Amino acid sequence: MTKPVNIREICLEILQEITEEEAYSHIVLREVLEKYQYLEKRDRAFISRVVEGTLEHMIQLDYIIEQFSNVPVYNMKPLIRNLLRMSVYQLKYMDSVPDSAACNEAVKLAQRKGFYNLKGFVNGVLRSTARRLSQVRYPDPAKEPLHYLSVKYSFPVWMLEKWVEQYGYEVTEKICLDSHMEKGTVVRCNLQKASKEEIIASLTQDGITVRQHPYLDYALILSDYNYMRAITAFKNGWIQVQDISSMLVAEIAAPNWGEHCIDVCAAPGGKALHIAEKLMGSGYVEARDISEYKVQLMQENIERTDAINIRAVVKDATVVDEASIRSADIVLADVPCSGLGVIGKKQDIKYKMSVQRQQDIIRLQRRILSVVQDYVKPGGVLIYSTCTIGADENQYNLKWFLENYPFRLESIDPYICDALKSKTTKGGYIQLLPGIHESDGFFIARLRRLEETEEVQGEGYGEDGYQIAGL
Amino acid sequence: MALRQIRIMGDEKLEKVCRPVKEITDRERELVRDMLDTMYDANGVGLAAPQVGILKRIVVIDIGEGPVVMINPEILETSGEQTGQEGCLSLPGQAGIVTRPNYVKVRATDENGEEYELEGTELMARAICHECDHLDGIMYVTRVEGNLFDVSDQPEEIEDEE
Repeated sequence: MTKPVNIREICLEILQEITEEEAYSHIVLREVLEKYQYLEKRDRAFISRVVEGTLEHMIQLDYIIEQFSNVPVYNMKPLIRNLLRMSVYQLKYMDSVPDSAACNEAVKLAQRKGFYNLKGFVNGVLRSTARRLSQVRYPDPAKEPLHYLSVKYSFPVWMLEKWVEQYGYEVTEKICLDSHMEKGTVVRCNLQKASKEEIIASLTQDGITVRQHPYLDYALILSDYNYMRAITAFKNGWIQVQDISSMLVAEIAAPNWGEHCIDVCAAPGGKALHIAEKLMGSGYVEARDISEYKVQLMQENIERTDAINIRAVVKDATVVDEASIRSADIVLADVPCSGLGVIGKKQDIKYKMSVQRQQDIIRLQRRILSVVQDYVKPGGVLIYSTCTIGADENQYNLKWFLENYPFRLESIDPYICDALKSKTTKGGYIQLLPGIHESDGFFIARLRRLEETEEVQGEGYGEDGYQIAGL
Repeated sequence: MALRQIRIMGDEKLEKVCRPVKEITDRERELVRDMLDTMYDANGVGLAAPQVGILKRIVVIDIGEGPVVMINPEILETSGEQTGQEGCLSLPGQAGIVTRPNYVKVRATDENGEEYELEGTELMARAICHECDHLDGIMYVTRVEGNLFDVSDQPEEIEDEE
């Protein structure tokens, strides 16, 4: 008889790949679930839940493990470490798994993976955890506030430090808490294909709970569905999955009839398509990205929507494209970033990022900005956006940019709803914070290239002389 | 270590009822050793003698808790039920859903001629039933509920690097 598929073993293998080999959680999980399509739905759900949950709470799980182990987590063999993490996750967060099953299966798995001599260790740590889980003492918020947040919400201390400094303790806690909340999926209605009433009626008929998004009329929040591709409105091309923050980019870009737009880091293409839609078939949107593969996926999406005024092209945003210089009415620079605004969706980001990596990313962002700013016509618009939180990649980059290039910030108030307006939006940019706004964490700035005659003055200031706020 | 060729479904040896072992000699002991080697090499949890072309009532099993050798096994008692995926080294890359007893009590003789009884649940119970079926010329596919499915694209085992 062949070795049967052991779903906990699959979980362990996925965790190994993500934590030890730097693979991305959402990609590995998708690939594995595709590979094991024949497994029962219940088993597939178990795999997703254990992997995602273990990553979501990893710092807390490590803290608990260390209460019951005399070996620190970082000193354990990686396989044993991940085995303990996923087992403690089952003990703490999964009522449907009996404690005895979580412990026994872990011991058997350790043995099967060749760690016969560590069977006793795994057994000891897990049995103690199961018995004394409710007695674990967590850091005291009054005495060690950062450590408390770090263990409670599983965020690295260095990240919390930066956020507390910039946004204060309360807001930081809200951001952390929000990343653990179950959320609906935000979709954009393509109102050229159907009316909102038709779309809502169709979704309701499919048994989906639909809620209006407060920030944009054509954005809906869906919950209680199993599989997006099975939804009629999706199959008809009436709705597209896109976070509200990403929709706001096209709103703030506010293209006019016939304009030429270049999206320099466009994949998967949601924003570029949205702009093309707003151009109502006029003008031309060039959606660029660096990899052949991504561009091809984008091209397929474009073809599905029948948009005629957009094309996907392979181009590296860090290399000057002479033909594009001073050619675009709008340049969209949605640059690669640390992604700290989307941790709720991709839990492993918070462990993979580091101060050093962030420095590398900032260098790349500035390199892209310095190249693509040249593509904007005098008087044209540059939209700078990231899906991250914090001044380093957002306000500080903006400040650097304004000091070096002939642009000025321009108020975004005309393009956003009242709920989003603030001093900084009047000044030309917005930092969306999960837990504060009903959105992913996201940053958008609207910059206008000075006409050649203006180029001497006005650097470093937003419209109406607002100095960049929030620094 | 000597590996033997695993017969693939369609081979007539897999359809025969095997003979009981009358005497355990070095020949049988060598066969048992080879069967274990072959099973481990193929990453299996059980192997029956007809699968290597020998029509004797001998099976070996290791579900990860150490090797078990069963000569002339006889199922004394079964109870309960488990439904799950099962695959066979004689039909590589395929699997199917099979319902088996969840508890099995078996009497057998080991390679030293000692008779013993063994109780197994879950995977062990499934493996005992699956291997004993082979001794009567029964492949698991005759017990599969629904269709067989392809499982050939399975990930490699993670190496224990330390």
